[in-house]
Amino acid sequence: MKRILIVEDEDALCLLYKEELAQEGYEVTTAGNAEEALAALKREPFDLIVTDIRMPGRDGVELITEIMGLRKDIPIIINTAYQSYKQDFMTWAADAYVVKSSSLVELKAKIRDLLNR
Amino acid sequence: MIERFSFLAPNFQSQEPRELALLSIISQSFFQPFSIEDNLLVILTALTSGSGVGFNRAMLFRTDGDKLRGEAWLGPRSAEEAKTIWEVLSTPGIGYVEIIEHNRWLLTRQPESLSQIVKPLVYSLSQDNLTIPATSAARKEMLLVQNARQEPLIDPKFLEAIGVEEFLCVPLYAQDEIMGLIILDNAYTKRHIESKDIKLASLCGLMAGNYMYTTLLHNKMIEMERLAALGEMAVFITHQLRNPLTAIGGFTDQLLTNRIGEAKKRRNLEIIRKEIRRLEDVVTKLALFLKVDVRKTVPFDLKSTLLGVIQNPDLTMKSGGIEVHLDIEERLPKVLGDPTYVGEAFRNLIANAMEATAPGGRVTVQGGREDQNWVVVCVQDTGKGMPPAVRDKLFSPFFSTKDKGMGLGLLFVKRVMEASGGRIEVDSEVGRGTSFRLFFRSGQERSAEA
Repeated sequence: MKRILIVEDEDALCLLYKEELAQEGYEVTTAGNAEEALAALKREPFDLIVTDIRMPGRDGVELITEIMGLRKDIPIIINTAYQSYKQDFMTWAADAYVVKSSSLVELKAKIRDLLNR
Repeated sequence: MIERFSFLAPNFQSQEPRELALLSIISQSFFQPFSIEDNLLVILTALTSGSGVGFNRAMLFRTDGDKLRGEAWLGPRSAEEAKTIWEVLSTPGIGYVEIIEHNRWLLTRQPESLSQIVKPLVYSLSQDNLTIPATSAARKEMLLVQNARQEPLIDPKFLEAIGVEEFLCVPLYAQDEIMGLIILDNAYTKRHIESKDIKLASLCGLMAGNYMYTTLLHNKMIEMERLAALGEMAVFITHQLRNPLTAIGGFTDQLLTNRIGEAKKRRNLEIIRKEIRRLEDVVTKLALFLKVDVRKTVPFDLKSTLLGVIQNPDLTMKSGGIEVHLDIEERLPKVLGDPTYVGEAFRNLIANAMEATAPGGRVTVQGGREDQNWVVVCVQDTGKGMPPAVRDKLFSPFFSTKDKGMGLGLLFVKRVMEASGGRIEVDSEVGRGTSFRLFFRSGQERSAEA
């Protein structure tokens, strides 16, 4: 079973993503901020990370930089409310960029693509 | 001995050179917050008045993209009218202000103003075969035209409109940017245009060009600031709306799949309701922020407003054991402002101060007279304070140090203070706390409570 780490400071979205991705057959762990995410990454292996950008404490960009130092091979999806960050996402070494939406179809499709690569 | 002089209204005497008096009048008018149209009227008046350069008529073109458009033409319509007007204007006691007012009427009177003749004249500045008057603007050259009817380089329509043999074209430009063109003539006195007229006209033209350019830059800057603020606002609203919408959409989809049990359905509905309330809160805060419109300031009693804020259960509930200490000077005069908005501004500041302060800390609200005209209220906390980088951005829209902050609170406070004719100052030190000082203008009446 593929393991996904969700980094998201909104509790409702953590819950939603966890349930919806579990339904798709993934094992999901959630982290409310960058610190929790890094702790989880040191504790257990993941096949993919979905992270928000604007979070309290260290933001998603700093988190991605840290992850690159730990594990370069792990695919990362940026999932944020800000469309305006989209043009920069490649420079942050993320693999995909999905703007938050009332439908999870795009996020689920990107996760499937990256895990089947 | 020290003597003070004002930039405004230096009193020029008749024996002083008229050039100085003329430049003084023009620069004084640019110094005032007049509209560009009013200031251009001052330039045209200076060029045509007897005490100024003394041309009979002045025609103004302004650039609009690559077009030069006829805009105004100041002067009498005929030799007879000129005689009457100049007699009236040379009556003792008639000053510059009266002349400008008279000229405003000349420019705009319907239907017989000269401006009606010049308005249909439009020239492209980018085409190859330019004719006079456009040539003067495009090449940024002053041109003195004599024996106009024998000159093939003049646009025939323009020649017909101006109807004189001699005229002077003065281009208006600054920093390589063409702003317009002024055309001067002596249609009624038939006096030849002399080199001293040209020198004075060129001086007026330079000043007008620079003034128009500065105004253009200023307007562009305001427009850019407006757009930037709009952009920031759009990004901010997007973020504030997208998170709740994502949750609402996702949990609604789950409800529609029928694969979840009753307990989970109820949970989803509760989450959806909570997120909708959040959206509503964003809308309410934005609406409050956008509608700050303090048009009428009234004298009011600060102490009772502050007591109302501090004793409001909304605030006391959030206090978390932090004490708010109110210390208002006795016999404090009433202050000017809108008490409702000022109360909301204090609520914002005090709530911020309480959030920044650790339990057991203290928030102090202290009010007193600064001097005869000002009352100052200081909202001080013993919280974590702010580094200078944060303090500098404090009043920018959508800037917040709080995780879920909208970044509108302090900007709201600033707008309320400015609308009340007052101001706000902030002082902060990391680790020691922050103090906001709000300056209010004193109202006339004394506070009822002595």
